[in-house]
Amino acid sequence: MSEPILETKSLSKAFGGLVALDKVDLAIEAGKITAIIGPNGAGKTTLFNLVTGVYPASDGEILFQGTLLKDTPPHRRAALGIARTFQNVLLFGNMTVLENIMTGQHPRSRYGFIGAALRLPKAHREEETISLNAMKYLNMVGLGTYAEQNALSLPLGQQKLLAIARALATEPQLLLLDEPGAGLNKLEKQELSDLIRRIRENRISVILVEHDMPLVMGLAEWVIVLDSGQKIAEGTAAQIQRDQRVIAAYLGEEVE
Amino acid sequence: MLARLKGKWTYFVIAALLLFLILIPFNWSLGQYTVLMIFIGLFTMVTVGLCLLLGYTGQVSLGQATFYGTGAYISAVLSKICGVNPWLAMLIAAVATGAFAYVIGYPIFRLRGNYLAVATLGLGVIVYILLRQLGPGGPDGMAGIPYLSIGGFVFDTSFKRYFLVWFFCLAVLLISQNIVRSRTGRALRAIHGSEAAAESIGINVDQFKVKIFVLSAVYASLAGSLLAHQMSHISPGSFSPLVSIIIVVMAVIGGLASVWGAIFGAATVSILKYELLLGFGEWDIVIYGLILMLVMIFMPEGLFVRLRELYGRWRLRYAQRGAET
Repeated sequence: MSEPILETKSLSKAFGGLVALDKVDLAIEAGKITAIIGPNGAGKTTLFNLVTGVYPASDGEILFQGTLLKDTPPHRRAALGIARTFQNVLLFGNMTVLENIMTGQHPRSRYGFIGAALRLPKAHREEETISLNAMKYLNMVGLGTYAEQNALSLPLGQQKLLAIARALATEPQLLLLDEPGAGLNKLEKQELSDLIRRIRENRISVILVEHDMPLVMGLAEWVIVLDSGQKIAEGTAAQIQRDQRVIAAYLGEEVE
Repeated sequence: MLARLKGKWTYFVIAALLLFLILIPFNWSLGQYTVLMIFIGLFTMVTVGLCLLLGYTGQVSLGQATFYGTGAYISAVLSKICGVNPWLAMLIAAVATGAFAYVIGYPIFRLRGNYLAVATLGLGVIVYILLRQLGPGGPDGMAGIPYLSIGGFVFDTSFKRYFLVWFFCLAVLLISQNIVRSRTGRALRAIHGSEAAAESIGINVDQFKVKIFVLSAVYASLAGSLLAHQMSHISPGSFSPLVSIIIVVMAVIGGLASVWGAIFGAATVSILKYELLLGFGEWDIVIYGLILMLVMIFMPEGLFVRLRELYGRWRLRYAQRGAET
């Protein structure tokens, strides 16, 4: 196995007395689609929040592309190449669809207050690149016709695609998707699967937290199972479906 | 279609506005309002800063009069007592006020929402009391502040100062508009939309909040300096917490998400304050409170933005009807 894109070593997080993550060791292979599954409260979203720096770990280490992320704030982690989406989508409701994606280009552009205030040539050039790139990601998720609409006027399925496009616009190496399939109908889930495969083809590693088993089993090349803050199993989709502990802890009757 | 209509509309309004502004001091009947127009210009500068902070970034400040005051007082003290050239005094005031906003910005923006509002209000109260107690002249303020001049040309009449103030005001509006329509402007609006999402796409939320706060302080400081050098007399009352509230009313009427609306907001309230409500004495604040409540309840996006929307819809319907026949 090549160098993992993301590693956690004995990663723990406690909120007061509640242990959300308990000494979790992970090594996420680069360029693959990895799924993290587990019942509610297993610590999946907590893991995402630790990796993106929303709050600090209580103990343990996170390494991204071999570099230790210690007190690196979230915005700098985005610049390093970690992007994410949120369970509750969190689009910018005060912007159009295209502007949402353009904002995602923030870490890949440089000009600031002065460049903007005086409309320096540098700002003009960068704006052109930002617009072009944003259109590229907009078309990649198939929302090209909605560019000028308000982001929140889209139905939920398309809002979720837009959130992915916004994350992609940061040009990440690693994309964390938090329940991308939740609330989507069958057709939308199919579109989502296709999109995630296309993202992988662009050499972006994807980690998804998802409850929808058919979606996970169809997509993921590697599955990690968390339960009560601990890693209880990992393997290919087929292996996980046969794992007795996983069946007991989580999948229950869903697997024969 | 709508975007194109809106674009043309903007240019037309800006051109008409410029023409109107240039003609006012020359017109016989409107000429008497030159001083009023100077105040509208000054308040517009302060209001634009608050629009960027409150309307675009979603961070409330109930203390903008503070920076208006520090700008005026630093300018006045430097030019009158220390004999510094008024232009240099104005520049130093802007830099010092900006630095002041930067230093208090980091701790104050750890607060959110109501807490931030109360903290900025507190800042306004503290600085107001300091100006009253420790400022030169105490509650009576300072007189005899030198006029601004270029070479031998002294800005000693309202007619001349009118153009000076509106030159600065339009520059501030233009700069603000450029910022709004840029990478920085998107970052600010993103913070308003969702701080968590903004951070997740690489926006340094704390830093942007402080930077826009500093910019709004610099705008207010410039307006304060212009006020000091043209009134030649200033007193703490012009920078009281009440003035901060009036600035909020201006921003709200102007439409929080519109740079040009600031002129509309500043003009509406100034005309009320200096003309229509003169007979009300100190009761005028009741009217502002009422306006604030009504606008917040019925058109939270601001009076100006709402009027513009209605106009846009009317134009669209008109165009459609034209196409049908």
